[in-house]
Amino acid sequence: MYEPKIIGFLCNWCSYRGADTAGMARMKYPPNVKIIRVPCSGRISPELVLRTFREGADGVMVLGCHIGDCHYSTGNHRTAKRMPVLKKLLEYSGIESERLYINWVSAAEGEKFATVIKDFTEQISALPPFVETMK
Amino acid sequence: MSDRLSSLRETIEKILPDVDGVIALRTGPGGIVAPYLFSKEHPGELAELALWPKEPVPDTLKIILRAHPDAKLAIVCRGCEERGIVEMFKHAQFSLENVTLIGLQCDQQEVESCQCFKPFTVHAKLTVGQPVEGVRDPLMAKVMAMSQPEKLAFWKEEFSHCIKCYGCRNICPQCFCNICALEDEKWVETGRLPMPNPSMYHMVRAMHMTAKCVGCHECEETCPADIPMAVQFRLIARDVKEMFNYEPGAVMDQKPPQLLVLEEGEYENTGLPH
Repeated sequence: MYEPKIIGFLCNWCSYRGADTAGMARMKYPPNVKIIRVPCSGRISPELVLRTFREGADGVMVLGCHIGDCHYSTGNHRTAKRMPVLKKLLEYSGIESERLYINWVSAAEGEKFATVIKDFTEQISALPPFVETMK
Repeated sequence: MSDRLSSLRETIEKILPDVDGVIALRTGPGGIVAPYLFSKEHPGELAELALWPKEPVPDTLKIILRAHPDAKLAIVCRGCEERGIVEMFKHAQFSLENVTLIGLQCDQQEVESCQCFKPFTVHAKLTVGQPVEGVRDPLMAKVMAMSQPEKLAFWKEEFSHCIKCYGCRNICPQCFCNICALEDEKWVETGRLPMPNPSMYHMVRAMHMTAKCVGCHECEETCPADIPMAVQFRLIARDVKEMFNYEPGAVMDQKPPQLLVLEEGEYENTGLPH
C-alpha cells in the first residue's frame, strides 16, 4: 500500500478558510494532501496542474468558492471553464481523469472539506502511482 | 485547366480592379506553390494561379495587414482557412473591414486527403466551386475506442518521436501570442529529448487550442515526425461544442468562451459538482 501524494490548490477566501474551519473543529482527515494557498481558484492554469503531475503528484485537487460566491466575482468561472476541458484532455491522453478533482468548498463547510479530502485520497489510493504509469 | 481554377481566375479578375491586391496561391519558379499577392499592375501573373497544395494563407493575410493596415485586400480561402481568419479576427489580430473573402470550396479528393470535417466556407460572399460534405476523421473514433492504458501507450509512442522543432506551433494560424507558454522554462524544459511524460509541450498546446483549433491540419502536415496531434484538438473541440456551444470560426459575432463568464445553463454541461 503506497501513500499517494496529493497537491491541493485552495482558494484563499473560501476553501482555505474551510480547511481552517475543519482544523478548528478538530476533524480528522488523511494527511496526504499538501495544501497550496492561492488567491483564487481561477489562478490555477492547466499548465500548473500538468506541471504538478509531472513533478510526481498522484492527484491534484482544485477547491474554490461556490459559483456566485467568488471574492473576485467571476474568478471561479475560469476554473469552471478550464478544468472540465483539462479533465477531458487527460482522459484523451490516457491519464485517469479522476486524478484531477474540482469542487467548491465555502469557509463554513469544514465538514465538507474533510469529506472531500477523505474521498479523494481513497479514490487516488485505488490508482497506481502516477510516476509508475508514466515510465 | 480545371473548372474551379478557371472560375476562380474569373472571380479574381472581376474583383482585382476594386482592391489593392488578392492573396491566392501561385505556382512560382521551380513549380513551388506558395501564397502570393496578385495586383492589378500585373494581371498576367494570374496565369500562374494555383489551387493545391493548401498553404497557411491566414498568416499571409496577417503579415500584410500588419504592415499595411489600410490595404484593401481580397483573399482566396478554403473552409478551414476562412475559419482561421475569423478566429484571428475575433482575437483582434486584424480588422476584416477592408477584406473581401473569396470562398474556395474543396472537392472530394481534397476532402479525402485532409479528412476535413467542414470543407466549405460559410461567411464568404463570393464563392467558387460546389460545396461537398465533410468526413469524420477515422483516427478520432480509433482513439476513442481505445482503453485508458492503450491511449497512454499510443500517445507515449507518438510523442516519443517529437523532436520539439516547434513547427506545429509556428504554422498554426491560431498561435499568435507574443509570449508563448511553450517557450517558458517553467512548463517546457529546453534541451530534453525525448520529452518526459506526460508531455507538457503537447498537452499545454492542446489546452491552448481549446475553442481555437479550426481543424486545418496544418500542424500534422508540417510535423516531421507525423504526430497526429490534431486528433486531441478535435476531440476537445467536440466537448467544447457540447459544454459551451462554441464552434471556432462558425459564427462571426460569437465570442470565444474563454473570454466570457459562465452563461445561464453552461455550468450544468461542465459535469462539475454543485
